[in-house]
Amino acid sequence: MSPHGRPKGESLSAKYEGRPVSGRQALLASGVAALGALTLTGATRIPSQAGYTGVGPNFVPLLVGLMLLVCGVLLLWEAATGGLRDMEQPSGSMHASWQPFAWVSAGILANAALITTVGFVIGCTLCYVLAVRGFRIAKGPLGRATWLADTGIGVALTLPVYLLFTQLLAINLPGLTSTGWL
Amino acid sequence: MDTLHQLLQGFATAGTPVNLLWALLGCTIGTAVGVLPGVGPATAVAMLLPITLKVDPTASMIFFAGIYYGAMYGGSTSSILLNTPGEPGSLVTAMEGNRMAKNGRAGAALATAAIGSFVAGTIATVLVTFCAPVVAAYAVRLGPPEYFMLMVLAFTTVSAVLGQNTLRGMVALAVGLLLGVVGIDQISGQARFTGNVPELMDGLEVVLVAVGLFAVGEALYAALYEGRVAETRNAMGRVHMTREDWRRSWPAWLRATFIGAPLGCIPAGGSEVPTFLSYATEKKLSRHANEFGTQGAIEGVAGPEAANNAAITTTLIPLLTLGIPTSATTAILLGAFQNYGIRPGPQLLESNGALVWALIASLYIGNVMLLVLNLPLVGLWVKLLRLPKAPLYAGILVFATVGVYGMRQSAFDLGLLYAFGLLGVLMRRFDFPTTPVVVGMILGPLAEAQMRNAVAIGEGSWAVFVHRPMSLVLGLLVLCVLLLPRLMRLFRSPRGGGAAGPGTPQVA
Repeated sequence: MSPHGRPKGESLSAKYEGRPVSGRQALLASGVAALGALTLTGATRIPSQAGYTGVGPNFVPLLVGLMLLVCGVLLLWEAATGGLRDMEQPSGSMHASWQPFAWVSAGILANAALITTVGFVIGCTLCYVLAVRGFRIAKGPLGRATWLADTGIGVALTLPVYLLFTQLLAINLPGLTSTGWL
Repeated sequence: MDTLHQLLQGFATAGTPVNLLWALLGCTIGTAVGVLPGVGPATAVAMLLPITLKVDPTASMIFFAGIYYGAMYGGSTSSILLNTPGEPGSLVTAMEGNRMAKNGRAGAALATAAIGSFVAGTIATVLVTFCAPVVAAYAVRLGPPEYFMLMVLAFTTVSAVLGQNTLRGMVALAVGLLLGVVGIDQISGQARFTGNVPELMDGLEVVLVAVGLFAVGEALYAALYEGRVAETRNAMGRVHMTREDWRRSWPAWLRATFIGAPLGCIPAGGSEVPTFLSYATEKKLSRHANEFGTQGAIEGVAGPEAANNAAITTTLIPLLTLGIPTSATTAILLGAFQNYGIRPGPQLLESNGALVWALIASLYIGNVMLLVLNLPLVGLWVKLLRLPKAPLYAGILVFATVGVYGMRQSAFDLGLLYAFGLLGVLMRRFDFPTTPVVVGMILGPLAEAQMRNAVAIGEGSWAVFVHRPMSLVLGLLVLCVLLLPRLMRLFRSPRGGGAAGPGTPQVA
């Protein structure tokens, strides 16, 4: 995926020497370790009565917590000594563009917040309209506003799905009315 | 003969008009999913999982299987014409196929990929037909300790072998296991990590995690980082292979089938490793070695595409006979079985024989359908590549919502979906593999149950895993998988770099 596939086999110290310590990687590693610690604390709250099986319900949680904690510490060590090993260069741009991200996020979260009140079709259309705007902004400067066309496509996309679910599969989805048609 | 008889009955079930329609629908959606960026077979199956609430199991398994292998056919189209592999199994095809396309040989590359997929898929289906009953008959004798060790082996290979880096694979696996633990413990009835949130009592849905990580993660990633990535599309040309192309392709197809099929069977699955092995083999054996990496060698497309299809077909053997998924998609298929209360494993052939044989028969039928869908009709799929990215990704988001919401009708799940999307972005940016998360989540609770049963059999002693020969052998195998690559790195002289081994995709 990246154009910089690195040959394997050269010694690690030579490869990573002189590279700056990455703050983001260290942050991520601490996050993994913290998740491990959190899992361990949570696991101690699970009763350990083993019953006839000999192993209690808290055993796997403890194991997973320990695994995360150890991996987190190892990742932290890697980050501090030249960066995570064997990293594939992530695809796309080096820098995040937050504006499109905000639009897309707004689309998903608005849908999550409103779907039970405004119904499936309107909620999902709203999600589509906000998200498609985000993706367009990501591509470059916006042309003229396309709100109306986007709304049309959004409805054309979600209404058939809604009808498929409610009428053909008889799975209840929230609607604006309770008729099952909208 | 018994097998053939049951297979014929399977054909009778799979050949009813309704089931044929489901197969065709699955193959069509699968091909589309393979062609389009942003969705893979795992996501597609996950999004469509709500149909398990209404459609009968045989029809929906035929449908899902169609999506699963249809995506492998479609994946080659986008990797040859766009050089953006639709799914990881097409990484190698993207290297050689795209070079061929740049030289005006896209048609030949598409043809050898589709025919090779057909040949390998069909041979692998024959293997599934005759091996599955044998494996199942043997697997009946395995007890909980052996099952647990097999699952640990699957965990190890999925997280240590498939990714670039064992440590990050392990983190991904641990996250998956943690997600699998959430909810009421099946054995003791204790709530674990639910934080008194009622929605979490039933545990997390696979749909939610898979769609969040793959689809929403992919969409958010595209919005954050990939807006300005320019694409070049290659011209298609006529889909046609010359006599010379045929002569060079067929040995590659067959060799690749015999590389891919066994690798798919063992719980070390995934379709990436066999494609890289096949590519390396073809490069070594070819009399046109100079074409590799320059103008594009047809063997370099024919081999990996065939290996890919052979491997994904035979991953059905461990799934159906042992209940062990070795890829993200098979993990979700296992979830689909669970939705019906069906437990894949050695008893499946007896308890749900009709379903299994109909599924296997549908593989034969589906391969023929896909050959037609992908050769004469390839032009249709090429049109899909012209879809602009913005509405495509926004549409994927809408379908992600539908899949997740349709499963449990909970707005809380949509919030979680977003959270898993963020996790997906983080994992992709820092090069963590995502398959171990899904496999760990599905297989984790099953492995935990086997482990607890095993220790119960050993009357509370862990020695049970060492005392039984089969479980000891499996345990040693796990150690080998973990330690061998490290030892080899230690012993190898530092200058041996540069070879494109499996696991170091070097895509230009």
